[in-house]
Parts: sequence; structure tokens; C-alpha cells
Amino acid sequence: MDPVSTTAAPSGLLLAGSVASLAAALWLLLPKASDTVASRRLGFLLGAVALSGFAATGRSLGCVGEDAVFLTVAGIAVISGLATIVTRSPVYSAIWFAMTLAGVSGVLLVLGAQFLGVATIVVYAGAILVMFLFVLMLAQPSGMAPYDRVSNEPMLAAAAGAVLLGLLTLSIGRLSAAEPPACCRMPSRAQAVAAASVVAPSTDAASKDDASKDDESATLIAPAQPGGDTGDANEVAHLGAELFGRHLFAVEVAGVLLLVALVGAIAVVSRGEATETDHRREGR
Amino acid sequence: MIPATMLTNALLVGAVLFCLGLVGILTRRNLIVMFLSAELMLQGVSVTLVAWSRYHGDWGGQVLVVFVLTVAACEAAVALVFVLQAFARTGRLDASAWQALREESLPRVIDHELPADDRVVPTWPHLSPAGVLPEGDDSRSLERDHV
Repeated sequence: MDPVSTTAAPSGLLLAGSVASLAAALWLLLPKASDTVASRRLGFLLGAVALSGFAATGRSLGCVGEDAVFLTVAGIAVISGLATIVTRSPVYSAIWFAMTLAGVSGVLLVLGAQFLGVATIVVYAGAILVMFLFVLMLAQPSGMAPYDRVSNEPMLAAAAGAVLLGLLTLSIGRLSAAEPPACCRMPSRAQAVAAASVVAPSTDAASKDDASKDDESATLIAPAQPGGDTGDANEVAHLGAELFGRHLFAVEVAGVLLLVALVGAIAVVSRGEATETDHRREGR
Repeated sequence: MIPATMLTNALLVGAVLFCLGLVGILTRRNLIVMFLSAELMLQGVSVTLVAWSRYHGDWGGQVLVVFVLTVAACEAAVALVFVLQAFARTGRLDASAWQALREESLPRVIDHELPADDRVVPTWPHLSPAGVLPEGDDSRSLERDHV
């Protein structure tokens, strides 16, 4: 594993070309009045060029090509995300979003967040996306609606999105340039501990506060101590200990939020129906 | 802990997803597709949070993503109820159907030219009915000529 590139910062020309081609591709692909099959094909081509350009920028940042699994799932996520926003049919858009969720879940698994990878599939694709599809089936008029075939200001929005992505890529490149060159190799255990000891004082102070408050919570959050590797087999157990130890109050608040959302959704729907029947009664 | 190169790669993926969702929510007019774009932005943020969390070896980012999931579920439930109510009033999922709520100085959105309906009539797969004997008698071909 040799370093791919010695220059950590992305080359400006490549980045500018990627941004321009991404803006052009988004503009060509978004629903417009002047759509032809040829322009869409050109958009797909330009989109592929732009995405490979950004991948090459990432390669000069780090080493994208090293991890084939990461490259695959990231490609699935990004291409499906692009298809989500440019597809005319909203049902196809929802199904492309499910593919994006699969890709994002793969990215999370590669990153080592096993619980969140599974939760993304279960909660998003299993619950939220099915709810979207239910509403689509309830509310979609027959045939393709005219407002699905036009879009608001596609040129300005495509340019804004591409420029924002270019700026984010620049800042990510500056981020990796500021770090010590460690391209394409895992940090050794000693390096990891040394890096963790930099942020140790604040965490130690926080944990001391916790320890003074409650000994039990201090033992619960023990896995989150610096030096403790988060990529072990007990990832879910450690995440649960952190969630129900340090963030217990936030969990309670999230439960209340779910309840409020449930009650609110039912209240909005049932109130609308009640007034409708009232009108009917008054009419008779 | 993940290496710094993996961190930058994951941050790049999160940035791309966020920007795609931004473009989608700015341009699309279907209310459901706008919400899907918002969810796409949330996914980008989730990838970024998890990448930083794994890079620093701190669980805070992953805990935050759990709450992002929770809030996304709440938001989808409440928002879809409003979308359904809006559809019941106008019969359309069009965001521009509600442009009477715009500010006074903003111009009215008028669809000057609508693209032709280039919908291709789908060719559905042909399913053969089950339980019907095929043409000809194939039963003799299974018999042996001699024992």
C-alpha cells in the first residue's frame, strides 16, 4: 500500500471541472419543459464525468480506490441519490431513495457503525419510506402530473448545489491537508492512543464530573473513554450504554416527541374529518 | 477508530448526498419528492456525523444520529398528514398550488410551457396462465421405447 498522491489538497482545475460538469448535468437531468432524450443522455454522461471527477478529487484527498467495498456502496448511494431527485415519477423517486438508503447503510457498516447501519434499513426503508409510498398511492393522481415534469429554477439551483459541493470538497481537502500525512495506512495503536490523549483532558473532566455525580453512570460510560476502540464486537452494547447512560434524558425527550407527533398527526386528521361531517349534517 | 483517509472519503459522500438533497428540495415541485430530498439531506448529515464519531472514537455522533432517526420519523408522520390534507383540498401534490401564501412582492409562478407527456406506455410482462396443458401431447416423449 503505497501513497496514492503526495499532494493532499485537491487540484483546483479538477475540482472546478467537476463542479461545472455537475451543475450542467443536474440542469440537464432535472425536469424541464425543453427536455429531449438526447439532453437526458448527455446529462447522464456529464453526471458520470462529474462523479468520477469528485471521486478523483477524493482520491487525491485520501485513497478512494483502496477500499472496493466502500467505493461500491458509496457509488450506489450517490447515483441513487442523483436518480431520486431527477426522476419524473415520484414512485420511482421513492424507490431510488430506498436504494440510497441501502448504499448509506453500507457506508455506515464500512465505517463500523453496525447498529446505525441496520437501523437505517429498518427505520428508514422499513417504516418511513413505506409511509411515503402509502401517501403516494393515496394521493397520486393517475398518470404523470404536469408539475412533475417541470421544476423551479433548475439552472440556479443546480449551480448553487454544485458550488456548495465544491466548497465542501475544498474544506475537506484543507482538513486532510492540515493533518499529518498518514495516507493509506491504518494508524497504529500507539498513534491512536496518542491522538486520543490530545482530547483527553476535557473528556476526563467530564467523566470526573459524572463520577462525582453517580458512580454507576461512570461505569456505564466507561467504554467511551479515550483509548477504548469503538470498532469492537460489542459496538451495539457500548452504544446502548452511552445512549442510556449519559443521554438518558434525551432518550426520554425523544420518546415524548414521538408521542406528541403521533397524537398530533391523529388530531389533525380526525379534526378535518369531524368538520366535514358537521358540514354534511348542517347541509341536511 | 478509522484512518483519516476513510474520514475524508465518508465526508465527501455525505457532502454529495447533502448537496443533491439541497438541489432536489429547491427545484422539485412535488411535495413528496421535496420531503424525500429533505430525507436525503438528513442521510448526508448522518454519514458525516458517524464518520466524525468513528474518527474521534467518541460515541456522541452516533447517539446524535439515533436522535436524527427519531426526529425524521416524527417529521415524516406529521408532514405526511399535512401533505394529505393539502391534497384533499387541492387535488394536487403541487407546491405551487399554495402560492397564494407567498409574499406580496413575489411574482406568481405560471407554467408557460408544459413539456409534452412523453410517457412511454409500459410493456407489462406476459404471464402464462397456470394449469393449462401445452400444445401437443408431450406425455409420450417421456416414455421409454424399450425397457
